[in-house]
Amino acid sequence: MTALRPVAPRPGTTPGPAAVLRSEWTKFRTVRATVGTLAGAFVVVVCYGLLFGTANGREYLGAPPGEQASFDPRQTAFRALMLAQLLVSAAGALTVTSEYASGTMRTSVTAVPRRGRLLAGKAALVALLMLPCGPLLALASFLTSQATLTAQGAPGLALTDPGVPGAIAGAGLYITLIGLYGVAMGFLLRRTAGAVTLGTFLLILPAMASLFPEWLARAVLTYWPTSAGAQLFWAGLNADGLPPRAGFAVLAATVLALLLAASALFRARDV
Amino acid sequence: MIELRRLTKRHGRTTAVSDLSFDVRPGAVTGFLGPNGAGKTTTMRMILGLDAPTSGTATIRGRRYADLPFPMREVGALLDARAAHPNRSVRAHLLSLAQSSGIARSRVDEVLGAVGLSRVAGRRAGDLSLGMSQRLGIAAALLGDPAVLVFDEPVNGLDPEGVVWIRTLMRDLAAEGRTVLVSSHLMSETALTADHLVVIGRGRLLADAGLDAFIRANSRETVLVRTPDAEELAHRLRDAGGTVRPGVAQAPDALVVTGMESAVIGKVAMAHGVVLHELTPHRTSLEEAYMELTRDSVEFGGAESGPEGER
Repeated sequence: MTALRPVAPRPGTTPGPAAVLRSEWTKFRTVRATVGTLAGAFVVVVCYGLLFGTANGREYLGAPPGEQASFDPRQTAFRALMLAQLLVSAAGALTVTSEYASGTMRTSVTAVPRRGRLLAGKAALVALLMLPCGPLLALASFLTSQATLTAQGAPGLALTDPGVPGAIAGAGLYITLIGLYGVAMGFLLRRTAGAVTLGTFLLILPAMASLFPEWLARAVLTYWPTSAGAQLFWAGLNADGLPPRAGFAVLAATVLALLLAASALFRARDV
Repeated sequence: MIELRRLTKRHGRTTAVSDLSFDVRPGAVTGFLGPNGAGKTTTMRMILGLDAPTSGTATIRGRRYADLPFPMREVGALLDARAAHPNRSVRAHLLSLAQSSGIARSRVDEVLGAVGLSRVAGRRAGDLSLGMSQRLGIAAALLGDPAVLVFDEPVNGLDPEGVVWIRTLMRDLAAEGRTVLVSSHLMSETALTADHLVVIGRGRLLADAGLDAFIRANSRETVLVRTPDAEELAHRLRDAGGTVRPGVAQAPDALVVTGMESAVIGKVAMAHGVVLHELTPHRTSLEEAYMELTRDSVEFGGAESGPEGER
């Protein structure tokens, strides 16, 4: 054992939010599960972009002319993203649940006993990661699906078409909020299995709307936070949809409420 | 300096820690003893702000842990040896901790060297042996060069070499003027390291004393006497104020006397013309004293409900 040189205390350098953020980035990038899940979102978005493009293109070509007229390639553009969001949410949840599973949450809380700051650090990291990754995922979903549509002779959109850049930016914003949703679910449920399973179920609930009575289906497709948020890139496609800004507000308010609930619980609970 | 004042933790109807008050002073190793389930870990978790006390306070230099401006620079803790993500490298684990506390990156390699883990810095924490994991936990505790150190059962599962290493480390840290609190359920181990003992059982304080004072207060001198005239001598010794019980079963001529020094016993025997074959003073060991002290807490330790008389 070699002698330790004592560290001189440096008053005035109370570790602030930036220090916590740096530490969270190190934690995120040094574990395969979190990096792999986020990378998996890109794989999923590309594979399913191609699959949805192919399937919808074939549908278009086989449809009678009347139905062909109502075909909107925007519908296909972000379908793959709706699957990739499950991995984005899981990656957000894993930044929290992997700490509970491995016992490092105790170490993290002793290092940063201001628990609100620790939670904020994790949320900020996921937001900062998803702000570029979200639009990239949306772009990948758009490009793969539209390329396969046009390759088959079905109508497809180009990046320069009106409304497309805005939809991609909106989809990126949506994905960022989904990442934060995952963080909140992680803090609320603490277990990976619970946070991912329940998190997924709640995200894709609108996909099951056809099973519900009509009034309920309509309500879910309008106000359920993920349906509402999807108006950021699907505006006009959903007859029951809210205006994009209102839809964004519903999703953002829900995620914020979940984060606040997570913060309150995290502060109150023994670690 | 760690100060506990009437610290209490209840989980529903069970009381884990009850009305605990004691101080942990700098410049000494304080052994925190108690049978398994006595509440040692819960107490340490409350000191570190992980568990909220039901009532009472635990403070470090007058502040609650959560209110410390530089927690890792003031308190280092080893709670659970396996508290690193198994898939993260040893260095990355320490780096993330250092970064969260504004500690320079170079310090990571310093503490790795100090605990002898430099060669495995790039390995996954999950691939470390238990002994190496303990060293990693200690490296994390030392990162901020804290004045207060809290170790929960640091020698559990270590090989003899590791045990000696930790023992020396504790002594060195205390010699540097730091406050060192080390929990253990083994008196034999603690007696080799600690200057001061705090013993708890079923969440309650049983003893808070220096090692020597603890031994004096809790160990009793007994004298083994062998004589062909056991009945007569027992009678005479009782008259003189001693407590006498028959000795070992296979030796009917043996008596065990407490509350009387061997010299006095010799005099009593001579005065009444009793022949002595053996007169052996025996001091109860620290381990025996500890077992005696915590016997009640162990006996009820397996009961369904918490300590009696709590509610």
